[in-house]
Amino acid sequence: MTPPTTQHTRSEQPGTATEPTAAPVLSVRDVHITDRASGREIVHGVSFDLTPGRTVGIVGESGSGKTLTCRAALGILPPHFEVTAGSIEIAGTDITTLTPARWTALRATTISAVFQDPASYLNPSIRVGAQIAEVLRVKTGLTRREARDRTLELLRAVHLRDPELVRVQYPHELSGGMLQRVLIAAAIAAGPRILIADEATTALDVTVQAEILDLLADLRERTGLALVVVSHDLAVVAQLCDEVLVLRHGEVVEQGPVRSVLHDPRHDYTRLLIAEHEQYGLERFRPAKEHA
Amino acid sequence: MTVIRRVLALTSGRIAVAVLAVIALLAALGPLLAPQNPLATSVRTLADPSAAHWLGTDYLGRDTFSRLLDGSRVSVLGSLEVALTALVVGAVPGILSVHLGRAFEWVTLRLTDTLVALPFLLFAVAVIALLGNGITQAMLVTGVLVSPLFYRVARAATLAVARSPYVEAAIVSGASLGWIVRRHLWAKVLPPLAVALAQTIGTGFVIVSSLTFLGIGVQPPEPTWGGLLASDLGYLAHQPWAPAAPALLIMVTVWACNLLADAVRDVSGEAGRALVDRRRARVHRTDQAVTTPAGGAR
Amino acid sequence: MLGRSAALFVPVFLVATFVTFALRSLSGLSPARIQLGEEATPEAIARVEAEWGLDRPFLVQYGDWFDGVLHGRLGTSWTNGSDISTLIGVGLGVSLSVATFALLIGVVVGFVLGTVAALRRTTWIDRAVTGFVTVISVMPAFVVGIVLVAVFAVGLRLFPSAGYVPVAQGIGPWIAHITLPAVALSFDVIADVARQLRTGLIAAYGENYVTGAVVRGLSPRRVFFGHVLRNALGPTLATLGLKFPALVGASVVTEWIFGLQGFGRFANDAAQAGDVPAVQGVLVVSIVLVVTFNLLVNLVLARVTPASQRGV
Repeated sequence: MTPPTTQHTRSEQPGTATEPTAAPVLSVRDVHITDRASGREIVHGVSFDLTPGRTVGIVGESGSGKTLTCRAALGILPPHFEVTAGSIEIAGTDITTLTPARWTALRATTISAVFQDPASYLNPSIRVGAQIAEVLRVKTGLTRREARDRTLELLRAVHLRDPELVRVQYPHELSGGMLQRVLIAAAIAAGPRILIADEATTALDVTVQAEILDLLADLRERTGLALVVVSHDLAVVAQLCDEVLVLRHGEVVEQGPVRSVLHDPRHDYTRLLIAEHEQYGLERFRPAKEHA
Repeated sequence: MTVIRRVLALTSGRIAVAVLAVIALLAALGPLLAPQNPLATSVRTLADPSAAHWLGTDYLGRDTFSRLLDGSRVSVLGSLEVALTALVVGAVPGILSVHLGRAFEWVTLRLTDTLVALPFLLFAVAVIALLGNGITQAMLVTGVLVSPLFYRVARAATLAVARSPYVEAAIVSGASLGWIVRRHLWAKVLPPLAVALAQTIGTGFVIVSSLTFLGIGVQPPEPTWGGLLASDLGYLAHQPWAPAAPALLIMVTVWACNLLADAVRDVSGEAGRALVDRRRARVHRTDQAVTTPAGGAR
Repeated sequence: MLGRSAALFVPVFLVATFVTFALRSLSGLSPARIQLGEEATPEAIARVEAEWGLDRPFLVQYGDWFDGVLHGRLGTSWTNGSDISTLIGVGLGVSLSVATFALLIGVVVGFVLGTVAALRRTTWIDRAVTGFVTVISVMPAFVVGIVLVAVFAVGLRLFPSAGYVPVAQGIGPWIAHITLPAVALSFDVIADVARQLRTGLIAAYGENYVTGAVVRGLSPRRVFFGHVLRNALGPTLATLGLKFPALVGASVVTEWIFGLQGFGRFANDAAQAGDVPAVQGVLVVSIVLVVTFNLLVNLVLARVTPASQRGV
């Protein structure tokens, strides 16, 4: 059933990389996810802790189980998929104890997410400002007027030029980069403690991608947001994360502080990923190697 | 015709074809099968069902069962006439609208818009009454009124073919126009037209019944399903069950037509072929599953 | 928005009225035959036709008639010389009461059925609703009408079997008289709305923006009403616009069954009597009704979904 166990390299000591001063806001413990329809286990044990202001990266090719892991943490696994072992705690609450109503209360205020292909995650028939304002009014009880003002602040906070105009536009009138900013603004509207960015920059061109990553880093510094960054692109993870998990076929093949994983990869697959990225200027994210 | 074979591979397709075949037989042989003369009156008026009169008699003592059988011909021929008229009047301009240039396209599109906006039963009643009371004229007029469905279906399929890369490739590689039409156009246009035809035959039944119910298109003594219902309506107090037989016949026929349309839609195109294969595979698997334990038990 | 929709219907209106007017020439009917009988002399016929202005060129007659239509004048009846607009006005109240009530029943019941089936899809509830919708979709309005009369009026005596009472004589009797015909007409609408809404809702629930709304912490109720329904409603409304002409047309049979003196009945009687101006009047009114209803639908559609959705 499970593939031959690959080398499961942990970092030296988990404690050295991430200073465990604060309690974790998201704690994933040996999570297994199974497709009930086919009876196949897709994710074979993923674990990580996330504390405020820190960032965990998950890297792997498509189908490696990174998106399923995120969806499990958000409680939006596709039909037939189920967490069959392990546990996920959000701000100290085990998600198996959550009722649908508590899930609704928890989303946006504690845990939130942005995805690849931002255009499809916004309702095509509603102006983007109204979609952000809806979150504000429902989750934080603002009045119509307050919500409008706060929406403008949020659009400004995600570095959108001309927020007044963007507010009254429909999703199809905005570019991919702008939409991802709007989606981020909606995701942080209710002040969540965790933000999951699932391939959030994948479809964007390189300069826009860099701007979005800067924005996420900026939000993390200013609000103490904890980030989970999922990508198939090691460069994205290298730029933003403190700790990284390398996933392959649902198996964590390597996990540890970004610097040590990139500097001293112990698994062949990680080496392969790094080698593939050499030509994309990954070097500048690995100063440790040059200094050594 | 592979489509026919694939339709028959579906349970729903087999049921639809069987029901429609029975109805068609009734229409062809109905007058011969009728146990009594459908026009012969008797003193036993409004009688309950009996061995002599399976469905009882009407207000003039005529045998209801015989009238029902005799009346099936008008309904079947009428609905076929509606559907075929609509097919010709709709599909031909629909296909040509893509190829004959802007003016033709504009005019046919406006005409189609207009026909769709007309309340057709109202128009059918008015036009038929004014232009002459005959079932053939009535059905021709109705056929024209329901033709927009065929125009749209044919036009959409033709447009899809004309704009597809493989047709461009065929033109570039020097294929003849006739070959392109045979190879690509028919394959794409025929299945949706077949679906529309099946649907329209069903609609045709409703229209023919509605018109004959109002007494339009037929001369009084001649029996029709709609006419039967109309006379039943007048004697509901005596025979409240009387409308059941013609009503059921109309509904079952319309249902079978819709079922056939769905079956044709399901089996045409790539998705359809996959569907049939999947069902076959499932049937195959259940066969094995049933036989294996039975053998093992022994 | 209104301008663009209206522009779309102008050619429809022009073509439809032209066809309607051409009916007289095509039918070869004349007021002279009705007034003078079969044995009239050619001179007498010519005299009567001249009185009605029928000796003028076709296009002049059309222009004259069309000008009248635009001003709400539909001419006078060949059979009794009364004003057609007045005659139709009387019947229109009946027909519109029934059609509006049928539309209301159809939309409400269809909405509930379609929604329940979509929210409980692949369960027995979905199969039951889908089966029910299939059954009622093959029941023609006049068949339903007859069954309703047999069961509820003749059998159970719950409703009057025929006739109409204006709303001025009391809401209760008015509703009682239009309920059965409205129910008979509504089956088709119920089936269409339920089917279209079910398909639309299921498609919408598969979209990413639903996941997006869920992740933004919106409750299932809010996701349904605020996001899913909005996008599923467009095609359903469009179907309703297409359905309306059939609803108006079916009034011919339901008014016959329920003994209502509506404009469908008026059209049938006038057509049988060969009263061409009266028939033309009814047809023009029905076209105006359809065009107006479709303009309304387009206006609502424009509010529900932005332009890009409709490919305008």
